[in-house]
Order: sequence, then C-alpha cells, then structure tokens
Amino acid sequence: MRYRVRHITHYKYAARVSHCYNLANVIPRDTGRQRCLKNRITVTPTPSVTHKRTDYFGNKTYHFEIQRPHTELVITADSEVEINDRDLEMNLDLGETYGHALQAMTGTGNRALIDAREFLLNSPMIECSDALADYARPSFRPERTLRSCVHDLTTRIFTDFSYDPGFTTIATPLADVLAHKRGVCQDFAHLQVGCLRSLGIPAKYVSGYIETLPEPGKQKLVGADATHAWVAYFCPEEGWVEFDPTNNTMAGTQHIVTAFGRDYLDVTPVKGVIFGGGSAPILQVSVDVSRVADAWPPAA
Amino acid sequence: MSQAITTSALPQSQTQGQAQATKPLNYSVPAGLVDEVHAADGSIKPQWAYLLASLGDLGPQVLQEREEKAQRILRDDGATYNLHGEDVSPSNTWELDAVPYIIGSDDWARIEAGLLERAELFNLLLRDIYGPRTLLRHGALPPEALFSHSGFLRACQGIRMPGDHELILHAADMVRRRDGSMCVLSDRTQAPSGAGYVLENRTVMSRVFPSLYRDSHVHRIASFYQRLRLKLTTLSPSDDLPCIVLLTQGGRDEARFEYAYLANYLGLPLVQSGDLMVRNGFLWMKSMEGLTRVDVVLRRVDDSLCDPVELRSNSRMGVPGLLEVARNGRVVIANPLGSGILENPVLLKYLPEISKALLGREPRLASVKTYWCADEDDLRFVSANIQQLIIKPIYRGSGITSVWGGSLSADQQRNLLATIHRTPHQFVGQERLEKSHIPTFSDMSLQPRPAILRTFSVATDSSYMVMPGGMTRIGDSPGGLAISMQSGSPSKDTWVTATEPERNVESEAIPEALRMHGDASLVSLPSRVVENLYWMGRYAERAEAGLRLLRTVFVQLNGEEPISTEATRILLEAVTRVTGTQPGFIKAPASLLEEPDEELLKVIQDGTRVGSIRSTLNSMLTSAEESKELLSTDTQRVINDLQDELDSLDAALSGGLASAPEEALDPLVTGLVALSGLMQESMVRGVGWRFMELGKRVERAEQIITTLRILTTPVAGEAAKATLLTALLTTMDVLITYRRRARQRPGIALGLELVMLDPSNPRSLLFQLERLQQHLAELPGSESNSGELEEEERALLAAVTRLKLARLAQLLEKETRTTSTMGDLLQEIEKLLLHFNTLISDKHFDHRTEAQQLVATTFGTVS
Repeated sequence: MRYRVRHITHYKYAARVSHCYNLANVIPRDTGRQRCLKNRITVTPTPSVTHKRTDYFGNKTYHFEIQRPHTELVITADSEVEINDRDLEMNLDLGETYGHALQAMTGTGNRALIDAREFLLNSPMIECSDALADYARPSFRPERTLRSCVHDLTTRIFTDFSYDPGFTTIATPLADVLAHKRGVCQDFAHLQVGCLRSLGIPAKYVSGYIETLPEPGKQKLVGADATHAWVAYFCPEEGWVEFDPTNNTMAGTQHIVTAFGRDYLDVTPVKGVIFGGGSAPILQVSVDVSRVADAWPPAA
Repeated sequence: MSQAITTSALPQSQTQGQAQATKPLNYSVPAGLVDEVHAADGSIKPQWAYLLASLGDLGPQVLQEREEKAQRILRDDGATYNLHGEDVSPSNTWELDAVPYIIGSDDWARIEAGLLERAELFNLLLRDIYGPRTLLRHGALPPEALFSHSGFLRACQGIRMPGDHELILHAADMVRRRDGSMCVLSDRTQAPSGAGYVLENRTVMSRVFPSLYRDSHVHRIASFYQRLRLKLTTLSPSDDLPCIVLLTQGGRDEARFEYAYLANYLGLPLVQSGDLMVRNGFLWMKSMEGLTRVDVVLRRVDDSLCDPVELRSNSRMGVPGLLEVARNGRVVIANPLGSGILENPVLLKYLPEISKALLGREPRLASVKTYWCADEDDLRFVSANIQQLIIKPIYRGSGITSVWGGSLSADQQRNLLATIHRTPHQFVGQERLEKSHIPTFSDMSLQPRPAILRTFSVATDSSYMVMPGGMTRIGDSPGGLAISMQSGSPSKDTWVTATEPERNVESEAIPEALRMHGDASLVSLPSRVVENLYWMGRYAERAEAGLRLLRTVFVQLNGEEPISTEATRILLEAVTRVTGTQPGFIKAPASLLEEPDEELLKVIQDGTRVGSIRSTLNSMLTSAEESKELLSTDTQRVINDLQDELDSLDAALSGGLASAPEEALDPLVTGLVALSGLMQESMVRGVGWRFMELGKRVERAEQIITTLRILTTPVAGEAAKATLLTALLTTMDVLITYRRRARQRPGIALGLELVMLDPSNPRSLLFQLERLQQHLAELPGSESNSGELEEEERALLAAVTRLKLARLAQLLEKETRTTSTMGDLLQEIEKLLLHFNTLISDKHFDHRTEAQQLVATTFGTVS
C-alpha cells in the first residue's frame, strides 16, 4: 500500500515573534513494515538554517531556525510512504506466551533485548504504578500468548475509556486518565504503555498518521484528521508489535509511523522556543492521508 | 580612604617572641581516628615534619594573625561562596585554614597515576555511552544503569569533540583510608567547581606564609590553568583567534566569585545565557561591538539546563538552539553536554568491569563500595544495613539529598526504604568511610579534622594533566561526617611537596600567544556587563548626591542660627526630590516639617524604600557584583568597605539624629569618593570604563539640575536666601571656591556660575555635559563617516549650547521672572538628558524578549 501524507502545522501568534528555534518530527521513519519514499518540508517564513538528521531513536528530525519577524508559522510536510501488505490477521493464539516472554527478558547477550530494556523503565510522562498493573492484570496470564494478552488489553482500553478531546491536555497525568476513563489517542497510548511496562513488557509510544478516508462501507477511523498515537510492545521472539487502543486494532496497513519514543516528549511533532509571540497562540493541525494508485510514478 | 583599608596586622616581630614563650603548638590525635601525620611508631612523617616545626616556631599568636590576614585578603578579593538557600547575601567569605594539607611527592606520584588512568577511563566511558554502547552489549554495565539516569541525555547521541578526548575536565572527591590509600567518593564531570578557589587559596597562602611556602618546595599549579587554556584553544572549530567564553548561571550562582576569578585568570569573558544567542547556525555573544562569534564554551551550567529547545524545556539558564550548534560542530562545549551521566554513582559499582572492558585492567584508584538498589542482592543488603550506609539518589538534580541511614529514626528509615523499593533504580547505598585527619588551626591550637580532597584533571593533546594538589575541605569536628562546599566547610590549600627543588615545567611547549593575562581591551564585553557598569556609575553618584545633601541639611538644621520655616521646607523638599523618595516632605504638613527626624532616618536607612540611601547603595553593590570580573582588587576592597559601612549604619544612627548625624554619613561619602577616585586611577580606559563614566555623568547632571531647581526657589529674607545659597554651594562642594572669589563679586550670580557654567569645576553642569560628549565620541562604532550627527550627539550638543547661551545675569534680573526662566532652562536640559539616556540604553543595552515554549501539538482535534 502506498500513501501520500500532507501534515500542516499552523501557528497564529497574538504578537510578533522575532525569532525561533524549532524541531519537528514530521517525517515518516523507516520501520520493519514501512518505507518513506519521499519527503519534503516547507516552512514559512523561510528558515535561516535547516538540518535533517536521525535522532537517538532512529527517527528523522528536522531542525529549523527562523530569524525574521513573523506572526504566523506554517510547517507543511509532504511524504510518500509504502507499507507492506503483510497479512495482519495473525492467529492470536500462536506465538510466545507472556510467561515465557517475561523469562526471556531477563536474558542477556541479545542486542535487541538489551535495547528493549530501555522501554521498561519510567519515562518523563509515564510512571509505572500498581494502579496501572492492577488495571492491566486481568488481561495477562502466563500461559496465554503475549499477543492475545495485549490484544485483550487493547480491547479493554477501547471499551472502558471514552474518547473525549475536551477532557485532557498534554499535561494531564496518567492517574487522572485512569481515574476518569477518558482522553484522546495520546492518553490511551500512554496508558497502555504504562500498563505494559508495569507488567514487565517493554513498550514504546508510536506517533504517526492513519488513513483519512475509510474503505467503502467502513467507518472513518478516529484521529484520522490529526496526528495519531498508538503503542508498540516488545516480544523477545517476535520483536516489536504495534497495537492501536483508540481504534481497538493492531496497527496495520492504515497506520503510518512517524516516530518511536519512550513517550510523547521524545517524539513531539513540533516543539521549540519562540521569542515574543504574546499569549495563547492559535494552533491548527491538519493531516491528509490518501492512497496513491499502485502505478508509480502516480498520475498528478 | 576609609579606615578599613589602612588597618593591618601587627608587625610580626612584636608578638612572635611572646607567643612562642606562652604556648607551644603541639599536635596530637586521639586514638581511633585515622591519622595522616603520625607514623605507626608515633613519629611525625617526614613530609609533615618541616611544616609542623615551622608552625611551632611561629606560635599560635602569629598563626592567628596570619590566618586573619589571609581572611582579610580573601575578603578584599571578594572571595565569597553563596550558600544554597541563602538568596542575596553576598558576604559569605570563603574560609581558608592556615595549615595546608601536605602530600609528599612519592605519595602524590601514585595518586596522580591513578587519577590519570581514571580520567582516561571516564573519557572512554563517555565516548561509549554516546556512541556504540558496547559496554551494555558486553554485559559490563546493565542497561538500566544508563537508561534510568536522568543525566543520560539522548539528544547528545553521536556528538563528538575534536581531538582525542570527549571529557575535558575531570574532578574527583576522595579521602585517605586507614591503610594510607586514596579512595574516590565521587566524580565530578559536569562543570567541576573549585579550581578557581584553589588558585585563590594558593595565592593567599604564598602571600601570608612566603618563606614557609618557598622553603617547602611546593609543586606549582599554574601550569594546570595554562593547559586548560591551551586545550580550550585547540578545541576551537575556527581557524581565527578563537573566542572562548565562560558560561555561568549568573547572579545566584553559588560559586560566582570563583568563576569571575577564573575568567580573569584565563582571560575569558564571563557570560550568562542571556549574553549568548544562536543565529544562522552559530553561537554569538552580544557584545558592545555587536555580535561576536563564540567558538568554545567553558561550561559552568549543568548540561540538562543548557538548551530549552532540546533539553529541559523549563530552563531559564540555557541558550535556545545551543545543542544543535554543538551537534554541527560549530561550537565546542567543555565539558560536553551529556557528560553529567558520568556522575552516576552506579558506575562506581561496575567500574572494575568497565575498566577491564575498556582498559584491559582494573582501575588503580579504588572507589567507595557502592550498592545499587536495582540489583536484588544489593537491595537486600541495603535494606538490612541501612544504618551503616549513606543512601544517595543516583541523580543529583533529583531534589533528594543523600543521607546517612544511621542519622534517621526507625520511622524515617522505613519511609526511605519504602521510597527505595518503589524506585530502586534511583538509589544507591554507599559505605561510610572513615576519613583521615589532618591538623587544622582552631582555638589557638592544632586540632585533627577529617579531610576530603578534590582533584582536577584536564585533557592535553594525548593524555591528561593532573593539577598537583587540589581543593581540601575539612569537617568541623573530629570524626565529622558532612564535608562539602554546600555545607560551608572550611578549605585548605593542598601542597604537594618536592624533596628536591622543582624543575620549571610551565614553560614547555606553551606558545607565547597563549600566555594568560592577554590585553584586557581585546576581550569583548557582554552588553549585560556594560549595562551594569553604567548603572553602577549612576547609583554610586545618586547615593553620593543624596548623602551630600543630607549632610548639608543636617548641618543647616542644627546650626546655631535658626533658619526660617520656608527655608526649612525647601531644604527638606530638596532631600525628597534628590533622593527620589516622594512623597516625603513634598507638600508635607507643618507637623512633619517641625519633626523631620523620623522621615530623614527612613530616607537614609529604610532599604525597602526605593530611593533611600540604603536601597540605592544596595543597587550599586548588586551592579558591582554583576561586573565583578572587571573591578580591580582595590576597587573590590572599597566596595567591601562600603558594604561594611552600610551594615553598621543602623548602629551608627541608633542614637537618632540628635547629635551630629552627619558624622554617621561621612564614612559612606568617603567610601564613594574613594570608589570614584579608583575608577579614575585604576580602570583601563576601555568600553566598560566609558559606560561607568557615562552613568556617573548623566546622574550627576540630573542631580545638579534637581538641586538647582529647588534651592533657587525664591524666598523672602536675606537670611533665608543665604541659607539656601550656602546649602547649594556646600552640597556642590564649591563653598570654598565661592568664598575665595566672593571677595570681588559676592552673590547668587557667582554661585550659579560656579555650579552651572564653570568648565573647570568638576561638579558643574557644563562639565558633566562636556564629559558626556567626550565619552560618547570614544564609544565603539562612533566613528561615523557621514557628517550628520547621531541622535544622541544631537541631544548633548543641544543641551550644551542651550546652557552656554544662557545669560545668568539676565536670568536673575528680576526674581519673580528669572526663576521661571531658570526653571525653563533646567527643564529643557533635563529633557535632553533623559532623551540621551534612552538613546544610549536602546542602542547599547540588551533588551531581550521573553522566550517561551512553542505550544504543544493537540491531538484528535476533529475539524
């Protein structure tokens, strides 16, 4: 499957910004199941310096510095991504069990495993807790496959929590999300990562996009018009596997990854420091994901 | 000059003989304490013998005097250490004990070898941590030891320093154990402090004990600083003469003195984050000459605070975009960002493994036994033995301080253990080491005190160089536990003594161009420093004007001739206006004018009242503190004296204003005059001096105008007129000149001429304006090619012309008319001065806009 993604981030400031320093995580990275074929970022006003690099987590980061006064900042990222059409309807009952995975995790010598242990630890926005472990535990039994455990947890989060864009902000603590059972995709992803880590399973926060238009006859996915977030967990035998608690599904051909991190702070789509700008800037984000005809290069 | 400058110690010869006779200096150590001085058989070890014998010859009395002298020098140099938690008290003088810590050269050679190896080891460790992380793969270090530490800055992955070393400075705190070997308690790899204090301690000791120091053949430490300077120079990414800055936190920095001292010694501008900015992918310093490109930053700010874009976003001490500039190799930061990870005490547990993996052998220098609570066995041990252990958070910035388990109640121990069990990764337990004791001068005798030594290493081309000696801190009682700079423990100079005279090692391979103390005028000044000098000049002048007027008013009010109510009112109003303490005596009721003492005292003493003498002097002292590195030792001394006089002002005025209150103000006036004299006599005529002068002249001109306006208010009666004229002339310090000239031509016209127009009177208005013109012409960037005048030149020219064209006789022809004409003239000149001040400030001072974080992206906003 091939997608064209247009991600526009538009800031309107109350007062003039004299200069600013920013970095953006808006370029889809390469993963086991996707490849970024093309990418172009346009920033207005024109930056004085730009720099594209690969960060600690292997994500593509775009730095820019603007030295001319402005009251609006527009970052447009255009990408083309190819995703493996691998069959994701895998049998949940086949594979490594939760109990075996926990045991394997204590081993050493395997590079992937050592690297994965970083994602067992607390991170700035996600702290493991008994409450998270207690919530997750009913889904986890040692003899059950890890995949079906995580699938069950995903379904429970989807069922127990209501999607409520008005309830949380970036700063809402995980405990509040758990207590009130509401939030947005970012909160659900943080929650599930916290649950998994609390039960000894390494988990990543995944930031990305999902296809905007539904297939005929299917419902449009939630979070389609903005940046989306979901999780990936580590299974010693199977590597990293992605689940989307907001849509109660495994991340499949409709999920395009921009970046992996320990939590949102590692992969914030756009961050930085501005000089001036007044208070309460207006931020508009739009994301458009459309399929590209199989022919390459595509028409128009 | 004020009194304190002239006091000095008694001549040594007077007391030496007596002291020796009365009380010998013996040194004994109670059994059980680790003793550094005595050998097992009770004899004094050779390296200590000469020192103890010499101190014995001096005797306690002389030693006491020498220690006081040392303390006085430290104070005069402004050596302070601002303790944590104490906000604005700039007067914690650094404490230096008179007895140095002696280390013999053979002993030192072993310590030095261990330190060299340790610096190399930490360098390789740092490179691996932000590079391939092979140590994790080889199992030498558990991944959690790295990943759970907040000092592991993921944004710094892959950044490399030019040359062979990532780690430029390494410091280690260590103690000597019972078996005589050294043991490292912790490593400092962020921005090790103390090297500046060591230099100051050494300077003071060599002055206070010149012959003892000379005869002890102490290894010199100067080459360490030369090596540091040289290393910083070679790190520069640019081919030109590099611009190297010392970045500090600014005002509240605990070790501000040391940074200023070090910056001066190394010839580097001392900057704060606000003095720097990133532009077009490079780092720049905002200086008087505009933006100066910065090549190397010697960092004294913790790495996580250095860039709010990529590191801690709430930091106000960072430079936005700095990390990206460093990443691209366009500026080099020493120590590099991310080096704080090496301070993780968990590394001490695994250091033998790490060393075997990186160096192929175990380290020579031992580290304190460390238990990491994330390790199951260690956690069990810590839980069972918490009374014996020091519990430390692995990250210093965590807000939790380390604590000795034995000092906690059973409840506190349980709570601490519960916290540890919740986040075992974040804690270590460390063995509590017995520290060896060294002699310290206390209560007129030599007392054993436990000691910690901080050593410093700097990277050279191929290896490291260890400073011979270091910073010794001592505990305040035998067997005492807590010793650190933060807890204010006294310090000692550390003498590595040679058995034979030292070869001169400094001169090797250090090009002349890199010698320190370069031409001060070539070093750019940050705009902030210049602005502070400007305000220092203004505040000093403002305080002086207020003091002079107050003295005059006291004399007049208490004089033998009673003065009229009207003259009294005018004098008191002048006090309010000159100090700027409105409403004060302005339109005051008669009762206040009859009993003015309380308000006058407030104008002097009340620090909470803006404009009071105390408040203005405090502002002056704050500005001086901000530009400390530019002030000479003498200037620093005068500033200390002013601080002292200010501290004792309340005592001096405790009797109210009843008897000769002007006496109480004299020391302050004298101090300010001394300060002003030093500015003239001992400051290089650089940009800094120009701005201090500009501030002073602008302020003085404004004060003259204010004083003139009030004291030329028409009054009835010759006596009252004479009172005001005398007040004016006294305040302006021209009474004597007036009296001399008045033989030919008495009257107010002569007085006004002296105060306003006399170009030879340094307190006349015209003199101030003409000086301002001269200074303006000398400022950088003033050589304009076009014939058109700059706006600020215009303002001054207009003021001078207006003043010179005034006809005093006409102004004074008829009293009712003239005074209003006088008022017009003064008002016009004042307006021009204000305009001038605004222009200078806009043009040369930094008006930064507030930085803020870009608002975070929202999720799921359904359009």
